Amino acid sequence: MTSHDTRTRQLPQGVGRLTGPWWAFIAIASAVLLFGVYAYWRQASGGLGETALADTGTMGGATWGLYVVMVEYFIGVSFAGVAIAALARVFHIADLKPVTRIAELLTVGSLLVGLAAVLIDLGHPARGLWHLLLYARPQSAFFATFTLVGVGLLLASLVYLFLGGRRDAAIMATYESRLNWYHRWWASGYTDTGPERERHMRAMFWLSIGIVPLLVVSLSTEGLVFGLQVGRPGWFGSMQAPDFLVLAAASGVANLIVLAAMVRRALGKAGEAVESAFPWLGRILLAAALAGLYFMVVEMVSLLYATPADERLIAEALLTGVYAPITWLSFGLMLIGLAILTRLAAKRAWHVGPLVLASVLVSISAFAERYLTVVPSQTHGMLLPYEIGAYFPNWLEIAVGAGLFALGALLIGLFIKVFPAIPMTDEEEVSAHA
Amino acid sequence: MRRTLTLAMVVVGIALAAVGYVSSAGWSAQTLADADPAFVAAPLLFVVGVVLMVGAAVVYELLPDRE
Repeated sequence: MTSHDTRTRQLPQGVGRLTGPWWAFIAIASAVLLFGVYAYWRQASGGLGETALADTGTMGGATWGLYVVMVEYFIGVSFAGVAIAALARVFHIADLKPVTRIAELLTVGSLLVGLAAVLIDLGHPARGLWHLLLYARPQSAFFATFTLVGVGLLLASLVYLFLGGRRDAAIMATYESRLNWYHRWWASGYTDTGPERERHMRAMFWLSIGIVPLLVVSLSTEGLVFGLQVGRPGWFGSMQAPDFLVLAAASGVANLIVLAAMVRRALGKAGEAVESAFPWLGRILLAAALAGLYFMVVEMVSLLYATPADERLIAEALLTGVYAPITWLSFGLMLIGLAILTRLAAKRAWHVGPLVLASVLVSISAFAERYLTVVPSQTHGMLLPYEIGAYFPNWLEIAVGAGLFALGALLIGLFIKVFPAIPMTDEEEVSAHA
Repeated sequence: MRRTLTLAMVVVGIALAAVGYVSSAGWSAQTLADADPAFVAAPLLFVVGVVLMVGAAVVYELLPDRE
């Protein structure tokens, strides 16, 4: 593929074409992000005292609040993306291939947003990062958050996205456009020869094989951040790691379905290729959501059945107390989502509308479940004789949180205008050399 | 050359990560105060090891064939 082959037609999949709706989306997302940056500036100037966060026990609050909920949620969402892309490659599931890049993008985006939330939760982010490099200890589950999730998983996902996109970048580089330099850089000399393809397949296969255990280990440690805290009723337990993984799978696939549906709509005819993935994603979501519901029920039964007094206090707060609305909302949304998915499965007709609705419900339920994992054990789970505490995020935290969502949306929105969101077909590759 | 370099990156990466992990832990420490990493920046060594392992895939794909 040389510069002599350059084509003058428009770039495929709307790449480089900035439409009115896209500008509107970017404007709204940028406005929300800017407001989040302003809120964070207020927090950075005045310290974490500007937020509703407060010490547990002595100040009757929660030191881990909305930001940590977002860390857990987004790192959980990252699970499904690369996992599905890896499964599609290792097992050659052709129906899932059209969503592999969206899945990889979702993983990278959610990891970046999740890790940004970790830094935002620190009083001195730079000092935190520096000290982690110098003094972090693997006895803490945070060691794995920093090393395996923050470095290993993010880097592996970026490498996966980069290598997986080289062939498409080489095809895109044959078009004449302002983005030509970028596509040539991404292609980095890829010429689509037989040996090159073979090497690419081999590298992606081994990367897929390596990335799935890395995902499972690093995300399990996110659950262990809570599960290993002996002195905190409601957190300590061996179920936290598998519970985290299951909910991660459900929320990740749910987000992937929503994102794939948005890409399908945005790309019009070209976006129809992702439709083959919806039945697969729907079935995976159904299985993950069922497992998630199972964990919810088991957790409730365990909390109610002959629990120690400290645990019972949390159980009451969750089931009938201040957190009951969130608990039952989470439970109800998961049930409704499951009902919709079961109906779709029974009819064997995975219509996009109901599937997206079920995905949104499961996703909101997962976010609420993360909130219930993080907060109640701090306000109600104390072994020392402190008064019961309370926490609800203030406007500043909500603005920063909304800004993080907007950041993720912007990253994805910008990406699909500079690179094809759907991997190109073999025919397109052949024609690139014609 | 490409295979050798890739393999070397994976092996050195695993070695660095292992040394970094063990050195970060202070496993033999009897008190909390002594549980700091055996040497400053031992966790960085672990991170460098992980980066090398992942980077091996890029080297494998990007290095051109000998011919």
